[in-house]
Amino acid sequence: MDIFLMLLINGLAEGALIFLMASGLSIILGLMGVVNFSHGTLFLWGGYLFVWAYTNSNSFILGIASAVIGTFILGALLEVLFVRKTYGKVTAQILITLGLMIVFTDLVRLIWGATPLVVARPDFLAGAWRFGGAVIVHYRIFLIAVGITVAIGIQLLLTKTKIGMIIRAGVQRSDMVEALGINIKIYFTLVFTGGAALAGLGGALFAPLVGGISSGAGMSNQVLAFIVVVIGGMGSFIGSAIGSVFLGLMGALIAWYVPQLAIVANVTLMAIVLTFKPSGLFGLAVKK
Amino acid sequence: MTGLFYNLIEMIIKRRKVYKNLSISIGGLIFFTTLLLFVTILPHVSGFSTKVLYSRIFILAVYGMSYDILRGYTGFINLGHAIFFGSGAYIVGIFLTHFGNNLTVLALAILTVLIYSSLAALIMGKIVFKGGGVIAAAMVTMALGEIVRNVAERWREVTMGADGLPFRVPDMFRDRIMIYYYAFLFLIIMTLALRQFILSPTGRVLLAIRENEQRAIFLGFDTKKYKMIALQVAGLSAGLAGAMFALLNRFANTDLLTVQQTLNALLMTLVGGTGTLYGAIVGSAFISLTQDTLLDLRAVHPIFDRWLLFFGSIYVLVVLFMPSGFVGLYNSKMAKLQVRLVQRKK
Repeated sequence: MDIFLMLLINGLAEGALIFLMASGLSIILGLMGVVNFSHGTLFLWGGYLFVWAYTNSNSFILGIASAVIGTFILGALLEVLFVRKTYGKVTAQILITLGLMIVFTDLVRLIWGATPLVVARPDFLAGAWRFGGAVIVHYRIFLIAVGITVAIGIQLLLTKTKIGMIIRAGVQRSDMVEALGINIKIYFTLVFTGGAALAGLGGALFAPLVGGISSGAGMSNQVLAFIVVVIGGMGSFIGSAIGSVFLGLMGALIAWYVPQLAIVANVTLMAIVLTFKPSGLFGLAVKK
Repeated sequence: MTGLFYNLIEMIIKRRKVYKNLSISIGGLIFFTTLLLFVTILPHVSGFSTKVLYSRIFILAVYGMSYDILRGYTGFINLGHAIFFGSGAYIVGIFLTHFGNNLTVLALAILTVLIYSSLAALIMGKIVFKGGGVIAAAMVTMALGEIVRNVAERWREVTMGADGLPFRVPDMFRDRIMIYYYAFLFLIIMTLALRQFILSPTGRVLLAIRENEQRAIFLGFDTKKYKMIALQVAGLSAGLAGAMFALLNRFANTDLLTVQQTLNALLMTLVGGTGTLYGAIVGSAFISLTQDTLLDLRAVHPIFDRWLLFFGSIYVLVVLFMPSGFVGLYNSKMAKLQVRLVQRKK
């Protein structure tokens, strides 16, 4: 029983991290039809900015803030300078975000070096509870709380505000929204940078969990987010939330019982979902 | 002066019409003869590093062409293409290390590469062509590629993990001049074979799919089947290129399986020209020579050591400003010239 509790907490915490990336990716994809291959790089920048600010200032809050603000600005730059030039051209979008991924990942190595940076959890989250054989790390509970807060926040934003209404309408038919006299381009920028900031937050929270960050972290987390987006259905916010939790829980269970299968399991899951429901579990059935 | 130039061009174009069946012009003939002479003489007058550089260009050109079959002729962006290339290299390495260093083992290894590539392409196709468009395919193939790389990194007993796998090659591949010629021969054979494939009725259907998949479906073609064939051809040729690459370097590591390696092929086809097949050869030469030049410059400033930074920048610039690549640019210039000539006649 205590083992199950531990695995549940681990899985949910993992899911919360994946969710921070996948939700942004999914909404960007749904609204703009852009699959952002540089999303993992933004995650990486968040992680490095956090470690840099945190070790220099010794303030956890300041570290998180600089990661979120830094990736927000970076996201805005990428959108305005590059991604905007390729709207409506699917292939060019994929290619250009791939190129940006390479450049900005290598910039991280240029600035902070190729060796992984080490970072400790802040004191107030460093502890752990023990129940019999299970260890529950405080930091993971914090992650779950952040994940739930962000999820509720986005859900409220999407369903209760005018901005959210326009975004939801844009996911369905962006040309129709434009025909109503709304400048959808501004919302594109907004969603892209918002997604970037979420990815940055994910990176910032990821670094203390694993005790450091290396330049390969962006890619491995991006792949998890892609799998969630494919499973959950492209453009579906609920789908990405449920997909993240599911992937996190499955990852925790498999890592505990059959660690050899950990890598293959995700792809098997993806293949099964694609075989039986190609549009994803919560797919909108809109082909972009 | 310009008039003379126009006359020359006109002559070449006329000749091309006469020799249409051979699809070769006098200018082209001279060009290719010079190129062939250059390539044949080169290894005898150049140093070790140049020989390896050009062998690399030949082998990577085949890898680039295999990518062009997918991206250029079906429009499918495969971000896991390195699976074929890297696994091809690993299979040759593993066979030569564990089962003895001779030609029989090598032949068996090549056979295994072919079977493996075919199976991998089958599995990849079954997952990818299930639903969704280019976007879903790109995401899924990237995930698949990362999984294979992860497996190679973890399976230390066989692949030596991140350290890489060094191995010895049979005697006939030890001489650098000989492997240079093998690589060149490999390029020629693969170019002819892939060209034949593109010109075949199947290749024409692939072009139709790229232009308008829905229409191809309405015309009664089972487009999934044709895409699957393209993936098979691309996978097999990339696997063979990987095997040749392993014989050249006598080394395989997980870098050969990264997304970066896939993007290498993608950039080659982009720079050279997508959907032109020969563009990949131009692209391969351009990228390898640029990389070599930049690495020579690293004594000037350490920034030139960061190849990926330049790689990414070239990539972004090409996508933004030269989407049709060198060969594409050349083709459109020639077409414009032809139009101008016709107008002059009137």
